[in-house]
Amino acid sequence: MSALRITVNGREHVLSAPPETTLLALLREHLGLTGAKLGCDVGDCGACTVLVDGQAVNACLMLAAQADGRSVLTIEGLATPDGLHPLQEAFERHAALQCGFCGPGAILSAKALLDANPAPTGAEIRDALAGNLCRCTGYTKMITAVHAAAQALRGAGAEMPPLGLTASPSIPLPGGEKGGGLS
Amino acid sequence: MSDRRTVTEDPALRESLSGLEASARLPATLPPAQFPIETLVPEVRQQTPAVGQRATRPDARLHGLGQTKYIDDLALPGMLHARIKRAGIAAARIVRIDTRAAEAMPGVMAVVTGRDVPVNSFGPSLQDQPVLADERVYHAGDGVAAVAAATDAIAAEALERIVVEYAPLPAVLDPFEAMREDAPRVHPPASNVYAHKIIRKGDVERALAEADRVFEGRWTTQMVEHVPIEPHAAIAAWDANGRLTVYSTLGRITLGRADIARTLALPVNRVQVIGTIVGGNFGGKNEISQEPVLALLAKKAGRPVKGVFTRGEEFYASTTRHPFFMDYKTGVGRDGRIRARKVRLVLDGGAYCSWSETTLGKACILATGPYRIEHVQVEAFAVYTNKTVAGAMRGFGAPQVCFAYESQMDEIAAALGIDPLEIRLANAFDEGAASPTGQTLESVVVKASLEQAAARFGWREPRS
Amino acid sequence: MVLDISRAADMRGIAATADGLRIGALVTHSELVRSPLVREFAPVLAEAARTIGAVQTRNLGTLGGNLATGVPSMDSGPALLALEARVTVAGPRGTRTLALGDFFVGPRRTALATDELLVDVVVPAASLGKPASFLKFGLRKGQALALVNVAAAVRVDPDRRAFVAPRIALGAVAPTVIRAPQAEAFLEGRPPTSEAMAEAGRIAATEARPISDFRASADYRRELVSVLARRALAAACARAQGAQ
Repeated sequence: MSALRITVNGREHVLSAPPETTLLALLREHLGLTGAKLGCDVGDCGACTVLVDGQAVNACLMLAAQADGRSVLTIEGLATPDGLHPLQEAFERHAALQCGFCGPGAILSAKALLDANPAPTGAEIRDALAGNLCRCTGYTKMITAVHAAAQALRGAGAEMPPLGLTASPSIPLPGGEKGGGLS
Repeated sequence: MSDRRTVTEDPALRESLSGLEASARLPATLPPAQFPIETLVPEVRQQTPAVGQRATRPDARLHGLGQTKYIDDLALPGMLHARIKRAGIAAARIVRIDTRAAEAMPGVMAVVTGRDVPVNSFGPSLQDQPVLADERVYHAGDGVAAVAAATDAIAAEALERIVVEYAPLPAVLDPFEAMREDAPRVHPPASNVYAHKIIRKGDVERALAEADRVFEGRWTTQMVEHVPIEPHAAIAAWDANGRLTVYSTLGRITLGRADIARTLALPVNRVQVIGTIVGGNFGGKNEISQEPVLALLAKKAGRPVKGVFTRGEEFYASTTRHPFFMDYKTGVGRDGRIRARKVRLVLDGGAYCSWSETTLGKACILATGPYRIEHVQVEAFAVYTNKTVAGAMRGFGAPQVCFAYESQMDEIAAALGIDPLEIRLANAFDEGAASPTGQTLESVVVKASLEQAAARFGWREPRS
Repeated sequence: MVLDISRAADMRGIAATADGLRIGALVTHSELVRSPLVREFAPVLAEAARTIGAVQTRNLGTLGGNLATGVPSMDSGPALLALEARVTVAGPRGTRTLALGDFFVGPRRTALATDELLVDVVVPAASLGKPASFLKFGLRKGQALALVNVAAAVRVDPDRRAFVAPRIALGAVAPTVIRAPQAEAFLEGRPPTSEAMAEAGRIAATEARPISDFRASADYRRELVSVLARRALAAACARAQGAQ
């Protein structure tokens, strides 16, 4: 067994785990933090993305022992008692979460990007999300959400929007064109 | 259901607990701030003003917080983990299966084979698929045995200790070869052509003979896997009264319930299927797969059993989109009007029928495209091969035929020197047009859509 | 048994030494991309590193790990081969140094014995600051394996207006990452014209020994070598002349 001292979402844990335990298994099975998902188990899909000392990593490819002495942030540690993180709020508002399975990983990849680069370009956002596969959204909504969150983080914090239907007569389309149905 | 709570550190809470043995009272990770679940409850008899409104998904809040519980996030007390041994051979007779070494492994709680399945066949239209192959292997992704163990790693290792002896059979991998009379039968004595449909309207042969120009071509599409980011997952648990509860990523739970009950020889009212939030379906989770296997393992072990497909199993042991072979013969006037279209479709169905009949039917109806054509004949065949199963996927055959008829439309336009947009406008359905099967179509906006799209991206503007 | 080497201090870090730029085997691809030393003295290695996998893989994956796979489509290999890098290998019998080209033995096979460890990579002093370029062609931009990748490093003698010590390395077109010695010999001493670089690309294509697989045919890969080698040479050449 490996003896580990790992800080997860700001709380220190002293644990022991079999040496082959991945960081993902440690989080999901030992700590009950199921926000990071097992999608492919080979580091392709990014559904297991967490931040280790601020860096996005695939938790399925990292042994728990490699995280000894380090600080891990999972999706469960992103919101605060004051409210959602602007990325969570923006992903929700911009429909970047459909089935939601890739969402925690994508949000954390985006957080690592915005921590290092508060005003990323579209290309930089695409590069930061390249390791997070999504089959529902087509990615464009995620890119929009990251832009919006970056803006919110640079300026005033965004308020939490209500869920469901809200009046919004003009939905901006990419390119700033006004949307409309068939006429 | 044990819901191990999660999330952030709250300094105030930590302060209030100082002096206490916090770990004795709290889960490993503290719950964060509250974000209550908001649900949308529609008002009865009140029109929801959805058009012109902006909608956010009610489930998005928990998705973004990482609090949504998918199947693999659930754990029942005492739950075991299952793995299924795949055949890895396209066609074979199973001579023997020796599971003794696997059963002897510490941590292995149950092993089952096809012989343990009360009714070893299922399928949404034809019941041609075994739960676990017992006498014969029909494709390499067939399960031949399954293990439930204390951990997933033990279950995976136990699979390695199961010995299966195969007598290889000739495999048929090409649908055209499979259609030949002398081809090996995938499901003997049944014919390899397991579904056939024909649509006739007018006199297609005469119209083709009289047409100014006749265009012929073959288009093919490949097998496509859905690749949901969440793999197929299910948990089976029996209660003390012999009732079965299955948590599953299954999209069609009532159909799945009937299939599960059938394979287990249980009355339907003894089976409860709970569909949870699904991490992507796209048509690939529309029928049962491992659920009866998990139920049998759970029964044998007397414990709940969870199974999660590996990414590999997603590719070879779940369904895929049908590869299509599409022959089009189209008679056209010099004015670009289509007079006749004759279509022959061959669907490579893989080892089992699955949703082939639905796919075949929809492909036939849509095969001539959204165009007014007097004389039509569409004939389609779904064919068994010893390959990964083709089933439902978004569009049920519509994308395949669309690729063929729109590709041919471009060829016709080019050959006749007609603008690709104009030739479509000249042939497209109008309001009240009849489909090839005689359905009167309403709310037809093909031309308006084409015009609007053309205007949006400047189709009629000079191109440089 | 699992032995975690990720904290072996001797195998970390990037340092300029008398021999050249020493890069520990445990340096991650992200560290290469960010390293001021790499960006100044061997920027082509940073260019190659940033095409590897995705952010998550670059944060965990190491230079030593990439090289030790021996996979012919690796991205670090061509860049380092074009810079004529050496590797240090340590084991119970002591430490040995070998040219990177000799480290690659076959597909997924290296000169490492089972009890040896790749310790570091040294870009020799003579190659530091040598103008170079890395180009990769994949089926998509993100997380793509190279169908073909090419690195070129050249110096241009301004007086003679001639290539000096041109180096071309090719990935994914042979059992290992390889150099293209005939194309290099063709360019040596020649004026840096677009015709010469195009011809060098064609020669490099004949030196490639690609296979056909589900990603691309051998012919397609050879064609890519020809085009990418020409472009990499042109880019390296432009840098060489821009630096003068």
